Amino acid sequence: MLHYLLKRLWHTVYVIIGISMISFFFIHLSGDPVMLMLPGDASMEEVEQLRQKLGFNDPLYVQYGRFIKKAVRGDFGESLYYHVPALDLILERLPASLELSLAAMVLALVVSIPIGIISAVYRGSALDMGSMLGALFGLSMPHFWLGIMFIMIFSVKLGWLPTSGRGTFAQLIMPALALAMSLMAMFARLTRSVMLEVLSLDYIRTARAKGLREFYVIGKHALKNALIPLVTVAGMQFGLLIGGTVIIETVFAWPGVGRLVVQAIFNRDYPLVQSIVFILALIFVAANLLVDLLYIYLDPRISYLEEK
Amino acid sequence: MKRWMLLLLALNLVTMGFAAPALAREAGTLVVVQEAEPVGLDLMRSSIQTTMSVCYNLHDTLFSPQEDATVKPALAEKWEKVDDLTWKITLRKDATFHNGDPVNAEAVKFSFERLNNPAIDSPHKGKLSPFKDLKVLDDHTITIATAEPYAPGLYILGYYLPIVPPKVVQQMGDADYNIKPVGCGPYKLVKWTKGEEIVLEAYDKYYGPKPAYKKVIFKAIPEEAARVASLLTGEVDVVGAIPVNQRKKIEASGKAYLTPQMGAMNYLGLNTYEPPFNDVRVRQAVNHALNRELINKALFDGKAILCAGAISPRTFGHDPSLKPYVYDLEKAKKLLAEAGYEKGFEARLSYGTYMSQIQEQAEAIAADLAKVGIKVKLEPLERAVMWENYKGKKLQMFIYWWDDAPEPDRYVYSLFHSKSRDYYYKNPKVDELLDKGRTVIDREKRAQVYQEVDRLLYGDAPWLYLYVVPEVFGVANNVDYQGRRDGFLNMYYAKPKAK
Repeated sequence: MLHYLLKRLWHTVYVIIGISMISFFFIHLSGDPVMLMLPGDASMEEVEQLRQKLGFNDPLYVQYGRFIKKAVRGDFGESLYYHVPALDLILERLPASLELSLAAMVLALVVSIPIGIISAVYRGSALDMGSMLGALFGLSMPHFWLGIMFIMIFSVKLGWLPTSGRGTFAQLIMPALALAMSLMAMFARLTRSVMLEVLSLDYIRTARAKGLREFYVIGKHALKNALIPLVTVAGMQFGLLIGGTVIIETVFAWPGVGRLVVQAIFNRDYPLVQSIVFILALIFVAANLLVDLLYIYLDPRISYLEEK
Repeated sequence: MKRWMLLLLALNLVTMGFAAPALAREAGTLVVVQEAEPVGLDLMRSSIQTTMSVCYNLHDTLFSPQEDATVKPALAEKWEKVDDLTWKITLRKDATFHNGDPVNAEAVKFSFERLNNPAIDSPHKGKLSPFKDLKVLDDHTITIATAEPYAPGLYILGYYLPIVPPKVVQQMGDADYNIKPVGCGPYKLVKWTKGEEIVLEAYDKYYGPKPAYKKVIFKAIPEEAARVASLLTGEVDVVGAIPVNQRKKIEASGKAYLTPQMGAMNYLGLNTYEPPFNDVRVRQAVNHALNRELINKALFDGKAILCAGAISPRTFGHDPSLKPYVYDLEKAKKLLAEAGYEKGFEARLSYGTYMSQIQEQAEAIAADLAKVGIKVKLEPLERAVMWENYKGKKLQMFIYWWDDAPEPDRYVYSLFHSKSRDYYYKNPKVDELLDKGRTVIDREKRAQVYQEVDRLLYGDAPWLYLYVVPEVFGVANNVDYQGRRDGFLNMYYAKPKAK
């Protein structure tokens, strides 16, 4: 097990280096931030001076080397716009992104798993059709539109919830819900199809034959097996959510990493973009690792012990 | 399954806490919303509008710039010209920084030197470059000298030289000062929760009349519709950057009104170095081909101000006898024919996609030019790419904008003097006049210099002249805030509306 973990962590190092290299070269291909940092009437000497100072005149591989050398010591450089360490900026925003992603994920799972189970158990019924239609609806609605609609209905018309910002529980509701909608739909459909498969298996028939209560058969025997694919998808989605909630964060002025990265890209704030990509990659890889470890709990047959 | 679900739920509750659901507002608090959060709060270190807006609430300068490009006293109580190159400035004695330190001559000297220090890379350094020397005469008197006579000097100091407390900056360091600055403006910083809000409180020892609001909170909502919605629900009081398509909604709501001040002067630059726009007849032809009135009606509800030349009609030094180029397709065609383009030509029109309502403007202009045979290919560009192409002299026709600034030197020099930028146009006569305009101290005579520049550029037409676009703020009905022409959201000028 420990061996497996070490091996996975070692792989992670490769992945991170690869990602950092790709993102480094791609963003540097997109142009030089110096022009953008100075006002239009700045002279060419001023531009050259700043370029020299920030090291943009060096060949790319030299710049990359410098970045890596500092990064391994935890120094990701200073943001060109905020003039503070890039890592500080990210760590300030990360809790907000985690909070929103977690809230959306929990909401999605809590709602979608029962719906998926009910749809599977009462397959073909009006309940099944209705919930799957709802799921299709949830999947097809763009976040952006949904977010604006929520604001128009719950804030402007009904006056129940604040339009945006972060800090109170009320402010979390709409962004979490908007983000959870498509997840719910995805999870509900997945739960349904996996449950259908599991319910037709022999051991379920055995369980029923033993005279176990149906609730117990479904809730304990069937669900635990059905969870494996769900955990995989949810884990991956969670990793994506942290950095991928840009649109929802923008609509609801949620102070997360997603908004920070978009601004950083538009500003060509290289050190900041670099650091965000680095940290998000780390989180994504960690989420994946966690999913793999969860398998062991969910299905003891899965083992990462070396077979000899 | 239950265990890990419970764990997730518990984590969630811990991270968000149980806060009160309502966003209760204290009386005397003003909430202001912009489209972006400041990148810092040190006025010396940013030229971004949304950042500077918050900064002007916190910081103060020597002079208060007026809308006719004159100045009024601020931290400077009085001033006199010693000679053509030197001003003697007397500071008021009752001004203090938010920590109680006095605003004195030493602080002014320190601020001037700090702004020119390469360590902080101040974007305002270039604007203050005509100033060469600042001397302390006594605790409250300084002299400041320029290398050449510099007419707009005090106005420039009024915007771009914030006075900072020497001791605090030295103790704190530049990085920290950018996050928790101690200024001497009407409001002091209470707390900045990154990404959420900046809380300011009226500074009780401010030398001027006290601000009407005890507390001001700045927030950022990047999405337009959400920003407007927050105003309509009464959550916020003042909202910046309201796009034209959201304006009717605010007017119809009965809950808020729009401030009428102007914002950006849009223009369409032409590359006068290369054919076909190296021919002045072609440049004049496109000016005649544009139906500005119609664009104004269709896109800006008739509220834009049409520009005759390069100097905005609201700027000091504009020649009032100039009238916008008449919309005259026949004349345009005739001019094109004379230049050898009777069959028209193809041209590229570039613009930054981040500009407000830009797509509609570009399309309208292209449609007008098509009527005289100019086939315009639209080239929308991302902000940084647009800027790079612009500076790299890669554009042919391009739309950009400039603040509708009261002081002509602030933009005509910036945009047309070949020392500042010669990317697409250069005219030695204009250079000469602009140099002269800086040095003529007498206001009337100075105006004549710029009027000559205005006429010269009108005839030479290096731009397709467009319009000054109204930039509006939305303000809740119980707040009296008329907006300022510089577009900065300085809440010192806001007060509750008398009922």
